[in-house]
Formats: sequence, C-alpha cells, structure tokens
Amino acid sequence: MPTLRPLALALLLALSAGTPPLRAAGADSPAAAEAAPAPSAGALSKDTMVGLLKGIDTRIHSTGDYKALVYLESRERDKPDVAQEAIVYRRDADEKLMILFTKPKTSAGTGYLRIDKNLWYYDPTVGKWERRTDRERISGTDSRREDFDQSDLAGQYDPSYAGEEKLGNFKVWHIKLAVKPGVDVAYPIVEFWIDEATGNDLKRQDFALSGRLMRTSYVPKWEKLYSEAKQADLWYRQEIRIFDEVDKANSTIVIIKSVELKPLDANMFTKAWLESKSR
Amino acid sequence: MSHLFLIAWRNLLQHTRRTLMLGGAIAGVTALLVFLTCLSSGVGKTLLLSATTVASGHINVGGFYKVTSGQSAPLVLDYRKVEDLVTRTLPDIDYIAARGRGWGRLVSDQGNLQSGINGVEIAKEPGLRKVLKLVEGSLDDLDKPGTILLFEYQAKKLKVKTGDSIVISVQTPRGVNNTVDVRVVGIAQEMGMLSYFNVFVPTETVRQLYQINDSSTSDLMVYLKDRSREAADIDLLRKALTGAGYTVMDREAKAFWMKLQEVNNEDWTGQKLDLTSWEDEVSFISWTLQAVDGITFVLTAVLLVIIAIGIMNTLWIAIRERTREIGTLRAVGMDKSLVAAMFVIEAFLLGAAGTAAGVVLGCLGAALLDSLHLPVPKGAQMFLMSATLKFAFEPLRIAKDAGVITLCTTLISLIPSIKAASMKPVTAMSHVG
Repeated sequence: MPTLRPLALALLLALSAGTPPLRAAGADSPAAAEAAPAPSAGALSKDTMVGLLKGIDTRIHSTGDYKALVYLESRERDKPDVAQEAIVYRRDADEKLMILFTKPKTSAGTGYLRIDKNLWYYDPTVGKWERRTDRERISGTDSRREDFDQSDLAGQYDPSYAGEEKLGNFKVWHIKLAVKPGVDVAYPIVEFWIDEATGNDLKRQDFALSGRLMRTSYVPKWEKLYSEAKQADLWYRQEIRIFDEVDKANSTIVIIKSVELKPLDANMFTKAWLESKSR
Repeated sequence: MSHLFLIAWRNLLQHTRRTLMLGGAIAGVTALLVFLTCLSSGVGKTLLLSATTVASGHINVGGFYKVTSGQSAPLVLDYRKVEDLVTRTLPDIDYIAARGRGWGRLVSDQGNLQSGINGVEIAKEPGLRKVLKLVEGSLDDLDKPGTILLFEYQAKKLKVKTGDSIVISVQTPRGVNNTVDVRVVGIAQEMGMLSYFNVFVPTETVRQLYQINDSSTSDLMVYLKDRSREAADIDLLRKALTGAGYTVMDREAKAFWMKLQEVNNEDWTGQKLDLTSWEDEVSFISWTLQAVDGITFVLTAVLLVIIAIGIMNTLWIAIRERTREIGTLRAVGMDKSLVAAMFVIEAFLLGAAGTAAGVVLGCLGAALLDSLHLPVPKGAQMFLMSATLKFAFEPLRIAKDAGVITLCTTLISLIPSIKAASMKPVTAMSHVG
C-alpha cells in the first residue's frame, strides 16, 4: 500500500514526460487560457490567486445537468481492498448532488443526497435516512463530497502565495488557503499546487484544524467535454489519488469513467427517487 | 400436624435409595440454578461496575446542542449552573463528574481503531481510580495534557505501550477535521465490552479536539450514595430541570451515541437535556445479562419438568405401595385432607432437603470458581463483561430460587396426593399388589 504514493508521483511524471492529455487539452482550452495567468517572476498577487481559484471553480461548474460513472477503490490497513462503483448526479444551478452506489452488491442501493446544506445518507438494508455533515467521508473512503461536486474555493478560502515550484516536469504555483471566518469546511487549511500552464490543480494537501496534514491528493488526469448548456468546456478531475497522511496505509483512488451532460429527470433529486432506485 | 411430618420423614428414610436419587436430582437442579444465578449476578455486578466506571454515572444529565438542525453535538452548555441545580435537588449525591464525550479515530504507527473518547478530570473521579486496574503506566499522569489511557485490547490493536504516541482524529460538530497528538500514559485491564470502545483523555484534550469552551461539557455523571434511589432521583431531577426552564427529552433507554444520530435527523436547534440511568446508557449491551438469565430460565424449566415427572412418578409408586395403608388410615377416621397432606408434606420435605443441599453445592461451586479467577476466552469476554469468570452472591435471589424449586416439587405432588386421598377406604384396603 505505501508503494501507491511513488506510483502516483511516477504517473504524474510520466504524464509530464510524454504528451499528457492534461497539458494538451488544458493548453488548448479557452477556459484554461482565461484562468491561467501569465507566469510571473515574483509572488502572485492575492487577486491573481483568487482568479486562479475562480478559474478552477468555473471550469468544474456545470451549468446544466451532470451525470458521471465513478469508480472508487479504497485500501485500508489490515482490511481487504474495497472497489465500489457509483453514479454521481449533479445539478449545480440548484446545488443538488446525488451519489448512488451500484457495485458491489453489498453497497448497491446506498446513496447520498444533498439537500440545501445537508447531506443525507440512505441505507437500503434498514430503509432509513441519516442526516450527515456534508463534509464527512464518502462510503468509508478517504474521499469527500467535494471530490465529486462543484467547488467554491474562491468563496470559501483566502489564498496566500507559497512559491513557484516544480512538480515532476510541471511548473506549478504553490498556494496556501485558509478558510474564511464563519465558513464550515472539512479542512480549514489547504495547500494547492496549480499548473502554471493550464491553471488546473495537480496536487492538494488538506490540513486539520490542529495544522496536521490529513491527506494528500494527486490529480494525474484532467478531462474536459463541451457543455451545450454552459457554452464552454466542462472540466473534471478524471482521476484522483488520495493518500491518508494520518494512517499512511490507507489510500483511495477515484476514477471518473464517463460523464454525460444530458438533462436529467426534473424531480430526481429527492429521497423518494433514490429509494426507488435502491429497491 | 407434627405426626404427619414424622410419617413423611420416616417414609423418606425408609426408602433411602429412592429418596437419595430424587433428592439428588433436586439438589442437582438447584445447584445448577444457584450456580447460574451467581454467574448472572456476577455479570450484572461487572456490568454495573464497568458501565458506571467507563461510560456512565448512576444518573446522567447529558444533553444535545444543535447550532443548526443538521449539526448536533453531545453538549451541556453552562454546565455549572446545571450541576448546581442537581446538587441542590438530590439529597444523596456521592459525587458528580463532568465528562467530555466524543468519537474518533485513534492512529498509531502500526494500527488504527475507532473509539469513544472520554474526557476526565482524574482528580475529580475517585470511582475511576478505585475500579481501573492498570497493567502498566500511571493513572496520575492522566491529569497532564496530551495524554491517553487505553485498555489492553486497544493497546494490542494499536501495537503501543506506555510512552508511545498516537494521533486522535475527529470531526467537530461543524464537520471540521481536527487532530491531537497524545502520549500513552497507562494501559488498563479490560472491563468487558465497554472497554473495547472507550479510552480516557484529560477533559482539556476533548475541549481542544472539539473546540469546546470550558463552560460546556458533554455529561454530568451523578454518583449516588444509595443506588436504590435512582428512579426517584431521576423524577426529582426532571421536575427541577423542567421547572428551571430547561427542555428535557423524553426518557428513552438508549445510549447517548444512539440518540445522537436520531437527534441529528430532528429539526430543532438549541439545547435539550437528557436524563438517563446507567441501565439506559448500557441498554445496547444489557442483552448479555438478559441472555444469561434467559439461559438460566430455560435450562431450569426443562430440568424442573424432568424433576416434576420424577416426583409424580415416585409418588404414584409410593401411593400404589401404600394403598392398603391409606385405606386403613381412612377407615380409622383420618380425614381426606390429612391423607393428601401426608403425601404433600413428604414431597415438601424431599424438595426442601434437596434444594438446601443444592444451594450449598451451587454456592460452593461458584465460590470455588470465583476464587480461581479463571480466564475467559476472548469471545466470551464480551458476553460476560470480564476477563475472568466472576460470580456474585445475592442471598435474596438465591433464596428465591430455592423457594421456587421447593414450591414446584410440593405443588406437583398435589395431583397424586389428592388422588390418593379420594380413594374409598374399602377399595383401598382390599387392594392387592
């Protein structure tokens, strides 16, 4: 399990050495070009950093409906690896999110539904809904709701410049984010490594309130597809490798296998709909 | 009447082998029942001890606070005011301990586990000091910040010993991740199932983890001098707290963490207090005690039926052997009821002697096994709430057991005895065989 970390880094390096979809796609994209400021020799200004965060938020944001098939693989110390498949439904305009697990059989039918600021969890074996904080781990993995949802980095965090660095072959901006007063987030301190060329985040570190590093995520693959509703490209992190930094034997891989942007059922973001799919 | 006892007694002595066999069987069943009763008492006593040490007071004044309807925490705000009210209301308080409660992940270099986190002020919890038996380390060190006391099972799972460091990782009620580094200062002997899911840290550590100020706590554990006043005291407290303007939740026999999930689903905000007894707090494991009692009941009932059939059969034989004697007694003027009484008394004497012997045997067996401190296999430890086999003696419960068996053996003899008494003297006297 600890070998995953170098593997992820190796992947990242491999991507940078060849013709990475990330760079190729990102560099050609008008959105990326718009969000990625010109490299600067000195420190980035706060406005530039906020612009970078807004760029990520905008690129991920889906104006219309969004449906993704997601594969999750989690590794935990002294436990067998768990692979799960889920469908993520999003309607960003109304801040709606639903995650319905389809595989394996043991977790098929379980689901999460975001209603306003609450995340509800449904367990079909007992037929009950439980209100959870929308910042908790998803299905026992190291992933969080925000790994599948739209983001509001610019609205939730204040950035500060940490430096210009090299991440493999990528030139990146290293910026630190501190949560704004009164905002509830799972991790109050976050560090981002943002690709200078594309403006996409390639690495993220999440810290607890105490300042302890909790998890490190690598994004070796970003993908995009054209959204009619948005009239622009919609970007998504096709692969996220999350490493638990407290219990270093634990890790999670999130792979988005496919994304569809067709309109979804108008009334599907309800408990009844998820229950009907769980039967 | 005494002559009936004399006849019954002599008759028992005359049929030595039959008396010994039947009396022995009664003694055996009684001994088993007493033995299981002592085991049940032992489990009950251990449950009380571990519950009121690890997770609960005799009475708990807990509560839940919700900032928004979706975010709840086991908190009593401004707890000193509540504590003051409790002190003024209850007449027989031994002491009150304010405990912080939480749930988190404990991570060492070589393992991790989920556990309940109890924030204690060790100097203010004399009960804890009396009950916890440390296999290594010192309980006194638990008053230092950044320390933790584990039970053996947890230390083994985390592969740590005294002096090692572990990380506690939790989510605050607002969903923010927080951690604290703690040093193991002691490892205590296991105390049944509850000790698998609980660790102790200084109160300050819980406050730090959950970002709670020092005017709040999770639970006021009230320890009483006279535990028999529990129910009355809870009623008194409910009235006093309601009268003082607090919202008190309806009483429900569930542990606080089970209620936390339910409270989370409810749409209200603010503070609600929750009054529980120690039995409410451990209701999720008290099935073990009920299981021991259930096994005892079923086993005893089956054996009692066998004994009853034996007694009836023996009395039928005795009546058959003594038919002419019954006829003679009836002919010389003995009343029907006295004839019936004669056989009932015989069964009563047999039952009483048998159960007396059984009580002695059962108690001796339980005392012997208790003194040996026999280790209990891991699986059974959860069930029996202890690492060693423990028995306790409750004289009233044992006397009740003995009384029930004697009563059963006596009652069962009524059928053949009445049958014998209803025989016509002429028919009985002419009986051959």
